Amino acid sequence: MKLINRLIAVTAVALSTASTPLLAAEPAIDEIQKRGSIRVGMSTFVPWAMRDKNGELIGFEIDVAKQLAKDMDVAVEFIPTAWDGIIPALLAGKFDVIIGGMSITEERSKTVDFTVPYAHSSLGVMANKEVAESLSWPDDYNSTDVTFVCRRGATPCNYIQTEFPKAQLRQFDDQGQTLQEVLNGNAHAMISSQPLPAHTIFDNPEIVFSPTEEKIDPGNEAFALRKDDTDSLEYFSNWINQNTENGFLDERHQYWFGGRSWANQLAE
Amino acid sequence: MQNRSCDLMYPDPDRPRSIGVVDVIVVAALIGFVIYTWKNISSVLAYKWSWGFLPKVLFLKNESTGWWQPNLLLEGFLTTIRLSIWAMILACLLGVVLGVMATFNRLLPKLVAFTYVGLIRNIPPLVFVFIFYFFISSQIVPALGIDTWARELGPSGKNTMNWLLGPPTLIENLISGVLCLAMFEAAYIAEITRAGVQSVPGGQHEAAASIGLSKLQSFRHVVLPQALQAVIPPLSNQFIMLIKNSAIVSLISIQELTFTGTEIAVSTGRRFETWIVVALMYFVLCYGLARLFNRIERRQLRRRGY
Repeated sequence: MKLINRLIAVTAVALSTASTPLLAAEPAIDEIQKRGSIRVGMSTFVPWAMRDKNGELIGFEIDVAKQLAKDMDVAVEFIPTAWDGIIPALLAGKFDVIIGGMSITEERSKTVDFTVPYAHSSLGVMANKEVAESLSWPDDYNSTDVTFVCRRGATPCNYIQTEFPKAQLRQFDDQGQTLQEVLNGNAHAMISSQPLPAHTIFDNPEIVFSPTEEKIDPGNEAFALRKDDTDSLEYFSNWINQNTENGFLDERHQYWFGGRSWANQLAE
Repeated sequence: MQNRSCDLMYPDPDRPRSIGVVDVIVVAALIGFVIYTWKNISSVLAYKWSWGFLPKVLFLKNESTGWWQPNLLLEGFLTTIRLSIWAMILACLLGVVLGVMATFNRLLPKLVAFTYVGLIRNIPPLVFVFIFYFFISSQIVPALGIDTWARELGPSGKNTMNWLLGPPTLIENLISGVLCLAMFEAAYIAEITRAGVQSVPGGQHEAAASIGLSKLQSFRHVVLPQALQAVIPPLSNQFIMLIKNSAIVSLISIQELTFTGTEIAVSTGRRFETWIVVALMYFVLCYGLARLFNRIERRQLRRRGY
């Protein structure tokens, strides 16, 4: 009987929430305070967030989220999520906020709200020497003979489609696969946010190179929140403004993106 | 059942063992092919191999106790095992009930079973996982209150939970994954069970009825035991599929082997080494399961007097 009662209760809850928008009632910051911990959705991406030797998360946005939690006086819980499912997971209430190096785009703004930016990263190009050395950037790359690769759902894919409409574009779920396609010479070039292309070129100078030195399409990365949660949006934006002024964000960005002094923390 | 070695996936241990000319040629050609591929891999694959990171992602020395404990990759392996075992149990329960319902003469149970199987079997697993997770389990699982319950457990309770379901903070997620997998696999197990029940000859039902067994007794003591024996080979196949399908739930952030594999491959940049090790781990798990089912099958054949 107990089981039946419980089943009925669950069904009732499911039905009642199905008709009203889920979780829209309470601002995320109130929920965070009530729970005593902030749930942060993120995805592994060097050097934004990655695993060190002990399996712990380290990286730029890990530092940012930890500092944020400290200032809010709550614990922090990281929820590593596949990039493809990160926005649906936010909307379904799996976590309070995405701090995941997510660039502000018009498309994404339709489903989530962005705070003011906390980082400004540009894109980098990595091309294969054997197949692309003779091509001149950017004109020769806009040709049907050229193949670009990018990570599915990431902003560089849009950039490639608008800037090089004639080129072939192949998309992979995992950044590792895009790198490998260029290293193998199966694709001419890949575009992703820095410093990944720079690091890979540094490690494999005999195979790949950067066809351009200019900063491409500098983006704005921000926290993403569920729609219409103005209280939380204002709170987080204030926090970001404050930490931009006091230099915390800049200092951390410089540490993670300016060099690789953290490389010995990884299991390499 | 004349030729026993044909009935089993693995051959008769008493078979004649002699190596012929053809065997030698085939084996030599195979070894030659492997060596050739290995030697040529560097010409199509620009990659610097290095295996030094592997022990570090498998094991971790606990500084306070001095003991070795599983690190990320092994933790993912354990999660895959937990996920698979729970999903197998649930899928079996649901699948057998639905499969038996499909053999009823009454319309309603039959309709329920066929609708379930027809609906789930004809949706790609990935799409099903996405829809189920975001629309259904994200409402049902929090409503059960498991999360708060797990957070409030005492230390010994937490330890047991850790063994059975993994870290308490991730339990809600794991349960969603288990439900997802179980519901998906149950559709296939239902079909297997239905085939098993229907494979029992009609004479058996009649014989059971003629010695005065009720419908339930005849089902419980005559039909079901024979049906279960018949379905062991396809069931073992389905369980292996379940373990491999469990990789799909990495999409919904369950920290199983494929997910931790991705994280390690991205963090260390050691892509191929990581995926080779992940593949080996899946192989060990699936092959071990196949052997286990093979033993059960053989024991049952022996019991039946073959």
